[in-house]
Amino acid sequence: MPGPIDYSKLRIIPDFDTREWWEGTKQHKYLVRQCKSCGHKWFPPTLPACSKCTSMDIGWFETKGKGVLYSYVVIEQPILGAFVGAVPYVVGVIELDDCKEADGTVTRVAGVLTNDEADVEIGLPCEVQYENTNDPNIVMPRWRISGSASNTWKFRE
Amino acid sequence: MGALTDKYCIVGVGETPHMRPSNRTTLSMACEAIRNAMADAGLGARDIDGMTSYQAGDSTTSPHVASSLGIRLNYSVDILGGGSSTEALVAHAIGLIEAGYCKTMVCFRSMNGRSGRRMGGQTPGGPAQAATCDGDNQFNMPWGWTTPAQRFGMSAMRYLRDTGCTTKAFAEIAVAHRYHASLNPKARLRTPITIEDHQRSRWVAKPFRLLDCCQETDVSAALIVTSRERAYDLRHPPVFIMGGYARTLTENPNWNYSREEIHRVAGNYGWKRSFGMAGISHSDVDFISCYDAFTFTTLIQLESNGFCGRGEAGDFVKGGRLQIDHELPSNLSGGHLSEGYTHGIQMVIENVRQLRHRADDACPRWAEGKHTYDRKAGCRQLKKAQICCGMAWGTETTASSLILRGMAA
Repeated sequence: MPGPIDYSKLRIIPDFDTREWWEGTKQHKYLVRQCKSCGHKWFPPTLPACSKCTSMDIGWFETKGKGVLYSYVVIEQPILGAFVGAVPYVVGVIELDDCKEADGTVTRVAGVLTNDEADVEIGLPCEVQYENTNDPNIVMPRWRISGSASNTWKFRE
Repeated sequence: MGALTDKYCIVGVGETPHMRPSNRTTLSMACEAIRNAMADAGLGARDIDGMTSYQAGDSTTSPHVASSLGIRLNYSVDILGGGSSTEALVAHAIGLIEAGYCKTMVCFRSMNGRSGRRMGGQTPGGPAQAATCDGDNQFNMPWGWTTPAQRFGMSAMRYLRDTGCTTKAFAEIAVAHRYHASLNPKARLRTPITIEDHQRSRWVAKPFRLLDCCQETDVSAALIVTSRERAYDLRHPPVFIMGGYARTLTENPNWNYSREEIHRVAGNYGWKRSFGMAGISHSDVDFISCYDAFTFTTLIQLESNGFCGRGEAGDFVKGGRLQIDHELPSNLSGGHLSEGYTHGIQMVIENVRQLRHRADDACPRWAEGKHTYDRKAGCRQLKKAQICCGMAWGTETTASSLILRGMAA
């Protein structure tokens, strides 16, 4: 397993557009933005308008927090103090199952996996988990491989 | 052809050494680079009336340089930006000079890119301090995913999966650019490497190894743009600007990762414009520069700019194709991977020197355009260097290009 992340060395500063998202993770809800006019969903919530119809009448969609691993990197050289004890750790991009739209638009999110590199393959199903931090106002989403699949792909040296 | 094709020229280039550390201010380095570029062009401070620069909140500005060097500017703007900015500022220069806002413009970059602010979210005060995750950083920094290697590695990994390409293709690029650096007295890393050296180097962020990553350095570099009519009277044969595209963006440039294919990068949206403006095809190009913050950024730009088909770049670079005296020499100064890191401007400078036939190599009479073409004796001048396509990368979603030609073309 990757080592622990020292959350005391991350200072999360939610803003006007993102504080409800961080409020969501506190309640173990994984939110994405959703347009109230056309239904389009997107991540990250820093973007305040709908890229399909330009509406700024926007809300939230609570996803099931499940998806498929689209890509990953294995970070061997830590940069931030919070991750010095965590290396090597895997950061993944996850395509959410319940955010696919009729025209093929998808929503992908990113996060640290709880798995070792040995267990990680593109195409495997993932689900979100939540980790408490030293800051009672911040609960951190992480992702774990949650099953098997065919047609997966693994990086080989 | 574009309405302004060949009407504007790069007439002066100059830089400081690549240093680690410089022990100098970015202003001091910028003044040196601009003095060198003015001397190269045969221009004095009174001849310059426009100045632009790009930076990441890590550098001096045009008014500081103007005060220091006694230049009175009719136009000055300093923009935020890294890679792909040089080519965009050259495009600005063309439009501004054409419209009469100024006559002769300097574009510079000055950065303590190693000893000062490094790319990728290093925490002020070192790793012991808490990192502030605000704005966009709320959605990458909390997952320890900040540096260019970590970010671009995500697209590289998916590219390997989608195309069957392997990291041996990355190695081809590291080897080619290092070989060119071995012919460049200014380059930081000059010992040639092999594919095996690359494959044995340590991991930084898989799929990137150490030899996939560029050399962070402290450096300043500058170039000067003016009209063709003025260029004819200056010190060197002019280098003509044939075409380009400037900070062209993909859809959803703020969040690459929900795009249909995260490795379908911005060059795809630009190259028809630049080649159309220049009035040439890929087979007319004698050599290229291709932004190599990482080996992969060179690789993916070859196919995004139409030099090969989608998914074909890994095969395209095999067998030393990008090396001098082969089909498509790339980054003849050694590039970011081996010469040093200037956010791209050095590649334009090397292209200008090659097109003038005055690469500053080990040949005793290079300054007169006399070269031996003997690589073992340290000559890095191409025999045929008439048209160059420069390709620049900001991120997957941001790209620029500059197609240049020399006097003989």
